[in-house]
Amino acid sequence: MLEVRALDAGYNNKAVVNDVDIQVDDGEIVAIIGSNGAGKSTLLRSVCGLLPVLDGDVIYEGGSIANRPVYQISRAGIAFVPAERHLFPGMTVDENLTLGAYPKRPDSDRRALIFELFPRLGERKRQAAGTMSGGEQQMLAVARALMAIPKLLILDEPTTGIAPSLAVNTYQSIATLRDHGIAVLVAEQQVPLVLSIADRGYVLENGSIQLEGSAAELRDNPMVQKAYLGVA
Amino acid sequence: MTAAILDGLVLGLQFGLLGVGLTIVYGMGGVLNLAYGAMAVASAIVVSVAMRSGLPAVPAVALGILTGAALSLLLNVTIMRPVYRRRGDQRVLLSILLTIGVAFIINGYLVWKLPIEALSLSIGGDAISILGVPMRVGSLLASAITILAGVGLILFFRRTTAGKAVRSVIQDEVGARLCGINPASVRMLIFTLSGAIAGLVAVTRSMTSPVPVSEGFSLTILALLVTVVGGLGSVKGAMLAGLILGVVNALSSFYIGSYITTIVLLVAAALTILLRPSGLFGEYT
Repeated sequence: MLEVRALDAGYNNKAVVNDVDIQVDDGEIVAIIGSNGAGKSTLLRSVCGLLPVLDGDVIYEGGSIANRPVYQISRAGIAFVPAERHLFPGMTVDENLTLGAYPKRPDSDRRALIFELFPRLGERKRQAAGTMSGGEQQMLAVARALMAIPKLLILDEPTTGIAPSLAVNTYQSIATLRDHGIAVLVAEQQVPLVLSIADRGYVLENGSIQLEGSAAELRDNPMVQKAYLGVA
Repeated sequence: MTAAILDGLVLGLQFGLLGVGLTIVYGMGGVLNLAYGAMAVASAIVVSVAMRSGLPAVPAVALGILTGAALSLLLNVTIMRPVYRRRGDQRVLLSILLTIGVAFIINGYLVWKLPIEALSLSIGGDAISILGVPMRVGSLLASAITILAGVGLILFFRRTTAGKAVRSVIQDEVGARLCGINPASVRMLIFTLSGAIAGLVAVTRSMTSPVPVSEGFSLTILALLVTVVGGLGSVKGAMLAGLILGVVNALSSFYIGSYITTIVLLVAAALTILLRPSGLFGEYT
C-alpha cells in the first residue's frame, strides 16, 4: 500500500535521508530501527508531508503523495503520530478524539474500540490533554490517530518518555491493530520490543538503509545483535 | 451612579464583541487587522446609504454585515496571502503595515465620497425602567443582540466541530494538520467571521450613538485595548474586558469628564498588562 522509492529528504534542501526504498503491504507491521540521528524521523516526516521530498517518490495506494499537503495525506488514510505528539493541550480527551476523526463525524464503534485498547482514556474523557502524564498523552496521540480510521498508522518512537512497563503495553496494543486491518510503520530505538511484534524491518543508519528482512531474520543477524540487542 | 454603570455595561458589551472580532484573528493566525475599525465603519455606511435609498432596516442591516464579511474575506485572499507565508514577528509586522494601508484607503474613500454620512439607527418605544433607571429601547436591543452574538460565538467554539477545528489550529497547528484540518481554510473562516462581527458591532453601536465615517481608527484602537486586556485569542476574555472597560469609560466620563476618558482607558489597559501580562484569560475561549 505504501512504497517509498529512492527517497531523499531533509531540512533546508540538505538531504539527511538518501536513496531510501521501503515498502509496507496491507495489514503489515513494519519496523524502522536505527540509532538516534539515523534519519528515522526525517524519513517518516517526509512521507507524511511535514518535510519536503527532495528526490524520489512516495506512492500510496497507486498514486504519488510526495509533497502533498499534510492535511490531504491525512485525509487519504495515513495517520501519523509524531514523537512530540502534537496534542491539543487545552482540549479534553474527548475533543482531541473528535478532531482525530475530522472531517468525518466520530465513529462510535471506533471510539468503543479505542476505550477497549486504552481504558485509561475512557476514565479521563473530560480531562484536558495537557494535564495528563506522558504515558497517557502517548496513548491519546495513538488513539487520536486511530479515530481517523486510517489504513496506515505511522508511529515515530511511540515509547519516548514513558515507563518501560507502559512501553510493553503500548506495543501490545499496536500488535492488536493487525486484527483490524491497519498497517503500521513504526520507527523505534527499542529494538527488541519492536521486533517482537513486527513482521518485517529495515535498519536505517546515516540516512540510508543498511539491512532489511523479516523480524526473525533481523533478530538473528549478527550485526543487529551486536549493535541493538546487546549480544556480544 | 447606577445609571452610569448601566450605560457602561451597554457600551461594554459592544466593546467586548468588537474585541472578539479582532482577537480571534490574532489568536488564529498571529496577525493584527488594523483595518478592522474601518471595515466596521464601511459596513455602517452601507446600511445608512441602503436605508436612505429606501431599503427597510432589516435587509439593510443584513447587507451591512455581509459587507463586513465580504471585505474581510477579500482581505484574506489578497493582501494577507504574503503575510501568512511569513512567521513570527515578521508576520505580525507585515500584517500591521498592510492593514494600516487598507484602513487609510477605506477611510480616505469614505471621507472623500460621503463626508457627512453617519449611521444612526433610532429604535422607537418608551424607555424601560431597569433598577429605577430609564433605559432606551435602542440600548436594550443593542445589548440583547450583542449578548446573543457573544453566547453564540462561545457555543460555536465550544460545541461545533468547526469551532473545535479552529481551536485546534490555535493550540497546535501541526497537530491540526495531522488530523486532516486545512489551516488556510480555517483562517479564511475566522477572518470572514471577524468582518461579520465588525459589521454587527457597527450596527448595534449605531442604536445608541451615531457612527460617522471618521470613526474607523478609534474603533480599531478600542478593539486593540479590549484584546490586550482580555488576553489574545480569548472570546470570554474579550467580552469580560469589554464590560470592564465600558464601565470604566462610563464612570470616568461621569466623574472626571469625557475628554480624559481615553487616557483613563489606556491606563486601565496598561495596568492590566503590568499585573497580568497574558491578559484576563490566557487560553482560548
